[in-house]
Amino acid sequence: MTALLQILFDALSLGSLYALGALGIALIFGVMRLVNFAHGDYIAFCVFAMLWPSIDAAAIVFAGNLPTVILVPFILAVGAGLSVLSEIVVFRRFRNANPATMMIASFALGFVIKYFLLMLYSSRPKSIDLWSNLTRQIEIAGARIPPLQVITIGVTIVILIALTAFLKRTRFGLEMRAAAENFTMARMLGVRANRVIMLAFAVSGMLAAAVGLILVTQTGTVDIQMGANLMLVAFVATVIGGLGSLPGAVLAGYLIGAATVIMQVVLPPDARPFRDAFVYGAVIVMLIWRPNGLFASRAAKQRV
Amino acid sequence: MAGRPSILARTWTTPVILIIILAALQLAALAVGSGPFNQTIIEIFIRVVLVVGLYVFIGNSGVISFGHIGFTCLGAYMTAWLTMLPAIKKSKLKGLPDIILDNKLAYGWGLLAAVIFAGLAAFVAGKVLMRLSGIAASIATFAVLAVIIQVYSNWDSVTGAQSSVVGIPIVRVVWPYFLCAGAAVLVAYAHQISRSGLALRAARDEATAAAASGVDIPRERLVAFTISGGIMGLGGALFAHSVGVVTPDTFYLGLTFITLSMLVVGGMNSLSGAVLGVVILSIIIQLLRWMEKGVDIGGASFALPLGVQEIAIGAVMIVILMYRPAGLTRNRELVWPPRKLSPEGRPAAPADGKTA
Amino acid sequence: MKSFLQLGLGAALGALMLAAPAAMAAGDKIVVGFATAQSGFMQAYDKPAEDAARIRIDEINKAGGLLGKQIEIVAADTKTDRAEGAKAGLEVIDKGADLVVVSCDYDFGAPAALAAEAAGKVSFFLCAESVKAGIQGVGPHSFSASVLAAVQGATMAEWAYNKKNARTFYRLLDTWTEYNKGICDGFDWQLPKLKDARLVGEDTFKNDDASIAAQITRIKSLPQEPDAIMLCTMMPGGVSAVKQIRAAGIKSMILNGSGMSGSYWLSATPDLSNFFVPDQGSVHGDDPNPKVNEFNAMYKAATGSDPSSQYVYPGYVMIDVWAKAVERAKSTDADAVVAELEKMKDEPTLFGPRTFTAELHHQNKGRYLITAVENGKARVVDEWTISEPIPVDYLASK
Repeated sequence: MTALLQILFDALSLGSLYALGALGIALIFGVMRLVNFAHGDYIAFCVFAMLWPSIDAAAIVFAGNLPTVILVPFILAVGAGLSVLSEIVVFRRFRNANPATMMIASFALGFVIKYFLLMLYSSRPKSIDLWSNLTRQIEIAGARIPPLQVITIGVTIVILIALTAFLKRTRFGLEMRAAAENFTMARMLGVRANRVIMLAFAVSGMLAAAVGLILVTQTGTVDIQMGANLMLVAFVATVIGGLGSLPGAVLAGYLIGAATVIMQVVLPPDARPFRDAFVYGAVIVMLIWRPNGLFASRAAKQRV
Repeated sequence: MAGRPSILARTWTTPVILIIILAALQLAALAVGSGPFNQTIIEIFIRVVLVVGLYVFIGNSGVISFGHIGFTCLGAYMTAWLTMLPAIKKSKLKGLPDIILDNKLAYGWGLLAAVIFAGLAAFVAGKVLMRLSGIAASIATFAVLAVIIQVYSNWDSVTGAQSSVVGIPIVRVVWPYFLCAGAAVLVAYAHQISRSGLALRAARDEATAAAASGVDIPRERLVAFTISGGIMGLGGALFAHSVGVVTPDTFYLGLTFITLSMLVVGGMNSLSGAVLGVVILSIIIQLLRWMEKGVDIGGASFALPLGVQEIAIGAVMIVILMYRPAGLTRNRELVWPPRKLSPEGRPAAPADGKTA
Repeated sequence: MKSFLQLGLGAALGALMLAAPAAMAAGDKIVVGFATAQSGFMQAYDKPAEDAARIRIDEINKAGGLLGKQIEIVAADTKTDRAEGAKAGLEVIDKGADLVVVSCDYDFGAPAALAAEAAGKVSFFLCAESVKAGIQGVGPHSFSASVLAAVQGATMAEWAYNKKNARTFYRLLDTWTEYNKGICDGFDWQLPKLKDARLVGEDTFKNDDASIAAQITRIKSLPQEPDAIMLCTMMPGGVSAVKQIRAAGIKSMILNGSGMSGSYWLSATPDLSNFFVPDQGSVHGDDPNPKVNEFNAMYKAATGSDPSSQYVYPGYVMIDVWAKAVERAKSTDADAVVAELEKMKDEPTLFGPRTFTAELHHQNKGRYLITAVENGKARVVDEWTISEPIPVDYLASK
């Protein structure tokens, strides 16, 4: 029982990170049909924003020293700012481009952000200790649970509920969904599309920042590659969940997290290095089974 | 249709022009003859092979694949297995079948085996995946890449896991790479004017109409996927022989995105776009590197700070795509005599404002 | 379209001509060519060792040069890319390099080293720790200046067994790189030789795993906490692993390879204790050999900062042993220099003795300082040399 509980928590802890990442990607895809490959680099950028630029091996913590009540909004603002900026400077000009062009543009943007960070901070991973008491584990019913894990799961659920309420209940949300459904038509009907899209980017950027904060608290490491792997998994989760569907993205994020943890537990030592091969094999099976994802949204269907 | 020249007659100049461009690079290599310069040209030829390989599937089917570099990995390892000295294989890659362990083939056979092996693998993967379309197909192909890389990164006795496989004969002359790049262009051309290629392009542009007129979309996609898989395998084998070392992580996301970018920047729906994308981006990268090293202008030395090259190439790509969302060639083929043509080789309708 | 073609061809030829380097003739000087990463991921690892190599070159030049000639440095950037690496190797050879220095990591250095081997030049990996960085993976003219990763794993196991009374070991391998596996290979070789020592469990993870909660659960579910955890990993995932292990309340001694040498990352784990790494020299200012501390000061004067990890040192060793071999051979001819290098047996250097043989151009035994981290402070606590060298056959079979 305890062992099961532990596995459940381990799975939830990994899954929450994937789910938050997937949410950020699904949101942008929903309004713009853009698969934003720069999302992982937003995550890294937000975390680096806590450090003073220097190519020394030791990190010079700068903004990271701010008190929590200021630091969290600051980093969220950095994420939102970077994301909105990339919308204004880059993605706005790709409104009518095909998805492949947008995807490559987003990849190129990620490339620029990554090498910009590399120039300022060098490729050497840096270390920072953020809220380490959140990672000290407490035991509940025999299972170890770090407060961070509980916070992550809580944050994910709160964000999901808040976003859903926002999209369903507010005017902005309505406009956003209208824009997602049919951009030109929504515009003709008076939706201020640019504002809506900017808002989606802002929220997505904040999600990237949130992921960054959780990740850095957990690992203590700041690295230019830190968002890359997570972004990939999140991207896969978004598709499995049904592109454009926010609950689908979250659910799929948790599923992949759970699959990874379970494989790690049940596979024999020799097979454990192949863990990710099994996980991606499962992804293929999933896609063949439900090509439109768990929650197929109307927007994601092939328009033939 | 009566009186219209055949598609071959209308488009044969395209591969000729593209091969002339490649030949010009080959001649430049002969003229300069220095080691690093030749290596640069070799790299361009390899990228031409890879991007043309991507084009055969992505360009003709319209489905973005993130998985093709997986076949490149298969090709690279296949030629490594066949062409290394038996002594090295026996100590490092004991898990290989005896017949491979005991023999050593010339690299030409390695290239051929790489094409066949990667093509077969693509056929098997395609058989399962080609019923998917759109983004689901893209993700599924990525999952294939991830599986291949994970297996090759951990299968100690056969691939040496992450450890580099060394002892692959290095080929430093340029012409074999030129021949392969030329061959890739010809194969891609032949496929695109074949019945299957035309059907696939029709399905890309008008899926419902094509399906209604009897095009079996999964089947035509599978044909393209297999051919492009084979070409990607060739590119991988060439890479192995150009550097002499292979590791699985060479063939992962970095290479995937670089090659995809070259294709999209060139113009993903045209063969000319694939080749020009490689050539033009490679030249820009080379110019930026040269500026990074420092340029003497009127006695004053001027150098870009290190790292600016990567940032600049990303920015250049964004700018190109902003102004040419359909790529540098606007998805059209180079033909002689030059005229305004749409991708299918038909004269563009004058009403089409986008061609201006 | 025609304009495209013209533009393309014109630009192609123009740009490529510019890319061609001018071959330079080396006259009365000796040329050391650095085909290393000056940009990209590897730059952070190559640069410090390269700086140390340049310090040794400066010293030699100031003392009158080598064979009476000044050493000149040429460099080409590998951009942390294998294909570029081959090009960089060819480029420094074109510029007349007598010694080709290649990237710290075997995978990234090999293309340039292979180019040097084909040209019949001596090549040195700055700090690669795979047995392949030498005869096995490049050829008879290739060397590495560092010590094999396997020696690090073996050193830590034997030291913890003898000095810390460790009997139960847990092996946690990060499958990300060959280096990590090398540490664990050395540990695997050493462990059966230690009487009563046993492996109580093992697991793997990946450097970029966002969380290793499942791996930690496995350690926690052991009936008894192991005496020592042999952690075969490197930056940046290593920090994350250490942090998560300690956060879970596991107090076992953690042993690692030199990949986590240095104190720059300790800020992530402010009160870390009971953590040990092997170092070729101390970057903490407390090396038993005062000359090392002098070197650190010199390094700071040259680069503006203290050495961040022990990976600075092999660069200095490299030029040191190569220059000695050139002096003894009275020539820079590759075969003559290799013959002199292979005669070196426990050749003293600032950072431990070096031995090269006709079978192995690397160290399968080596003196290591043991650095302990207690309460977030790193300091040298001991020194250890494994009792017997790790057999070349064992290394080559891995």
